[in-house]
Amino acid sequence: MQSALAELETTYFTLQSHIGPLLAACQTQAQRDALTTQYVAARSAYWSCVNKAFHDDDPAVIALTTQLDAANDQLKKAVQELGNIKTTIDNITQVVTIGASLAAKVIAV
Amino acid sequence: MTNFPIAIPRAWRRTIAASVLLSCLFFAGGCKTSDDAAAAATQLTATAKSLTDYYSALDTILAETDQLNEVQVVLYEIPYDTPTKAMIADTRAEIQKREALAKGLTDLAQSFAKLTGSTASTDASASAAKLETEVESLKPIKFKMSSEEQNGMKIAIGLVVTAIQEHKEREAARGISQFATALDGFFAKEALDYESIGKDYAVISSSLAKSLLQNGQTDPSGYFKVTLDPYGLIPEVTDTKLRGKLEKLAEGQVDQKAQALQDSQKSATDDMEKSLKQMSDRIKLVADDKPMEVRIPPVTLANVEKWASEFSTLIP
Repeated sequence: MQSALAELETTYFTLQSHIGPLLAACQTQAQRDALTTQYVAARSAYWSCVNKAFHDDDPAVIALTTQLDAANDQLKKAVQELGNIKTTIDNITQVVTIGASLAAKVIAV
Repeated sequence: MTNFPIAIPRAWRRTIAASVLLSCLFFAGGCKTSDDAAAAATQLTATAKSLTDYYSALDTILAETDQLNEVQVVLYEIPYDTPTKAMIADTRAEIQKREALAKGLTDLAQSFAKLTGSTASTDASASAAKLETEVESLKPIKFKMSSEEQNGMKIAIGLVVTAIQEHKEREAARGISQFATALDGFFAKEALDYESIGKDYAVISSSLAKSLLQNGQTDPSGYFKVTLDPYGLIPEVTDTKLRGKLEKLAEGQVDQKAQALQDSQKSATDDMEKSLKQMSDRIKLVADDKPMEVRIPPVTLANVEKWASEFSTLIP
């Protein structure tokens, strides 16, 4: 498991690195909107944490970081395989939601 | 072009030469100051200058990152939300404060070097007052410097200015050593954040570059310049198959360059950290009245300067 910052980096950078192909795979405007919303949330979570101090030793942060670590592995696989775009966006949403919770916890500690 | 890995940039050489000269003037004066202190002052000036350049490069990277996010609005129609833009601007403002702090340390090191000059005490007071304000302006909660560390730095500055005013070399060195140790610890704590800022820049810029390549929005014919330049010919690639090959090649180069950007920053950050530590240890030797054998600035500074210079031609 990496640090909280590293996990949020992984989520945001994975999306950033594949954003072109992901957007191209979207079949509807609703899918594009959902994807850009998740991307903006991942970027925001990342910058919130760069901008704040980290408290990696907090148990809640450790638990969320572990959860995000596992979710990031799935995310990497999903964006590389880029199968069903709806499933991929659901996967992204799940990861970004954990990331947003982690960012909120880190900022609050 | 001949490349000397340990070559010292001209501007840096000038800084060192000026410091050496000032140090010589100082040591020719009435107060008893050792060669070690002179060397320490010179080395500290060079180290503080590299630290200033390191932060200046980070500032440029953040300015570029802001622009890259604007480019994404046009290219992908991804909104650049106001809170994120504000956080990037705020991070940039914090980096600029660190740059000012490093510049303040350079000024103080120079005052230390010209201790016996007619205005040295006044200069030292002014440098120290400026440095104190800069330490005060840092946001300790945001950037991991505890209030104890911040106070420690302020006490050290006070010690330095009093010692310089009273022409007490060892005491001044003790204060500078205390300050340098705190600064080294501070830099080490934030190093991962600095590297992350650089990674973000490399990831966004390479992602956008590849997207433009994949969508045929670049002119890859420049690859043939080397072949055609000697004959005064201008490349113009019209063959689709050849363009495709060149674009694939360019994509690989974008990936390599993005990785190289991250690697070079990591190496520069490690070297900056090592240089600060070395400086702190050397000044401590002067403060403890022990011999300081090394007479040149930390060699690792050359790598920091090399990395920082990559960003000096980009937008400020």
